[in-house]
Amino acid sequence: MDYDDVRSRIIEEASKCSYCGFCEQSCPTLPLGPHRGYGPRGRVYLALLFGKKVLTETREFRKSVFTCLLCAACTLNCPAGIDVPNLVRLVRHVLLGEIEAA
Amino acid sequence: MTGEIEELKRLLGRDKVYDDPSVVALYSREASGLEGNGFLVVFPESTSDVSAIARWAYKRRIPIYPQGSATSLSGSAVPGKGVIVSFERMNRIYEISVVDSIADVEPGVRIADLNEALMTKGYMFPVDPASHVVATIGGAINTGAGGMKGARYGTMRDWVNQLEIVVPDEKGTVMRVGCRTVKCRQGLDLVRLIVGSEGTLALVTRAVLRITPLPESSPTVMGFFDNVEDLLAAFTELKTRRYPLLLAEFLDETAVSIAKKGVAGFESVRGHMFLASVESNHEAAERIMDDMVAVLKNHGASIIYTAQSLGEAEEKGLLTIRRRLFPAQIENARRFWGKSNVRVFIEDIVVPPSKLVNAINELKSITEKYGLPYTLGGHIGDGNLHPAVGIVLDDKKVVEKAHEWYVEVMKLAIRLGGSISAEHGIGLLKKDGLRLEMEKLDSIKALDIMKAIKRAFDPLNILNPGKLV
Repeated sequence: MDYDDVRSRIIEEASKCSYCGFCEQSCPTLPLGPHRGYGPRGRVYLALLFGKKVLTETREFRKSVFTCLLCAACTLNCPAGIDVPNLVRLVRHVLLGEIEAA
Repeated sequence: MTGEIEELKRLLGRDKVYDDPSVVALYSREASGLEGNGFLVVFPESTSDVSAIARWAYKRRIPIYPQGSATSLSGSAVPGKGVIVSFERMNRIYEISVVDSIADVEPGVRIADLNEALMTKGYMFPVDPASHVVATIGGAINTGAGGMKGARYGTMRDWVNQLEIVVPDEKGTVMRVGCRTVKCRQGLDLVRLIVGSEGTLALVTRAVLRITPLPESSPTVMGFFDNVEDLLAAFTELKTRRYPLLLAEFLDETAVSIAKKGVAGFESVRGHMFLASVESNHEAAERIMDDMVAVLKNHGASIIYTAQSLGEAEEKGLLTIRRRLFPAQIENARRFWGKSNVRVFIEDIVVPPSKLVNAINELKSITEKYGLPYTLGGHIGDGNLHPAVGIVLDDKKVVEKAHEWYVEVMKLAIRLGGSISAEHGIGLLKKDGLRLEMEKLDSIKALDIMKAIKRAFDPLNILNPGKLV
């Protein structure tokens, strides 16, 4: 399956992020993780880099993507209105699909 | 480089050192949109960790880039080729003393978290940048941050009593500068030299901050005006009546038209917004409120909202409208360019409040020349304006235009007797602007002195190199 169209959707949504970090205040996983990747700001930026294929899927990248609870608390505070849970779902979709295909 | 990284992992422990490219990428970007090229992130958990990092960097001559929460808008938090030192794990509040009026904290504490702890004692830390929910004390110290309450409480330089710092030398020397008390004559004032130094002089590992009681009452009014002159006349009259303005905020009509969407009770407002709040005791609050309403009415405010306190202003949505400046700037840019992937270029000039009419009118005419989507908001209480234009990054001509606009806005601030940066700092984006300003003041030698001070703290130029001067 060709995932390029899904990657385009990921880029479109993740590009809205200005890295303000307002989303981080309501994220339940960020305080439990060792770095910014366990919060929404980190997940959105990694999604952007993943969509653009400029980042290999490292161990910390996978942890970031699969520790999201999809609770959407972050969306309440996002000035750009980014749908973080859906973005994370799309990244998981591509990641798992490509792993299966390999 | 592998040997050096392994050495650092041995010094600090493997769980504090990350060379995973995903993690490095996350700490190589900041809110200004700038991206850097660090190759390692370290997460010190104590002053001795920071000292070990400074010692290692000095010995290996490797640049280190301190970072809070990367909400900088000037480029000061974006790393070059080197090691990013994130202070986010150093987030302990050691002590809050009401009697001494201080809070003793680590640099990774977020401003909002400190205020939550202080609120239980009826106190506050009054420097409140718009990013306070994410911004850290260490980042705010190094940026010399300000906020909405600047007119009454100034900026970070007014609220730091003492600092523990680490300098990059062969020992990773730890020092305490300044005093726990407000009064302090400890030779030259190194505390206020570090505040606003953007991580170029030392690594801040602990800070004793001043705190202040929450106001007993804070009558607040919000009015909407058809023209800027009337709005500023109302502001001037409030000042001449000797009210201690806690905040005096402005949004232009474009920002208002977008910011009001979805905020119940504000559907019919139009024009420029003026929000003012005064510190008072309970007994005087009603009298002051009535007087403020009369002032706004006399100067032609069309619709006036009131609240007895900032808490009530929050509940009624008055502060929501002001806080929506940033999303309104983004939305304005999206509408103009017809796409969601836009960036907002936010300026941070300051002019004497007596020159605000000239500044606001000239900003409008300057921006019209460039044909870029424009919004203006600011802290008029202290003369700090945040004009902003929306751009699309994939169009080089637009980016160039925005840059020209940026330079012209800085020149305007200098011409009106103000400064190119009030609270966002110099970083990478305003180095040229700083030179312009010092030239205008016929004080270029001040830049040489700044460079000499930098060499005294950091002889190898490995601490956030390339920033500020």
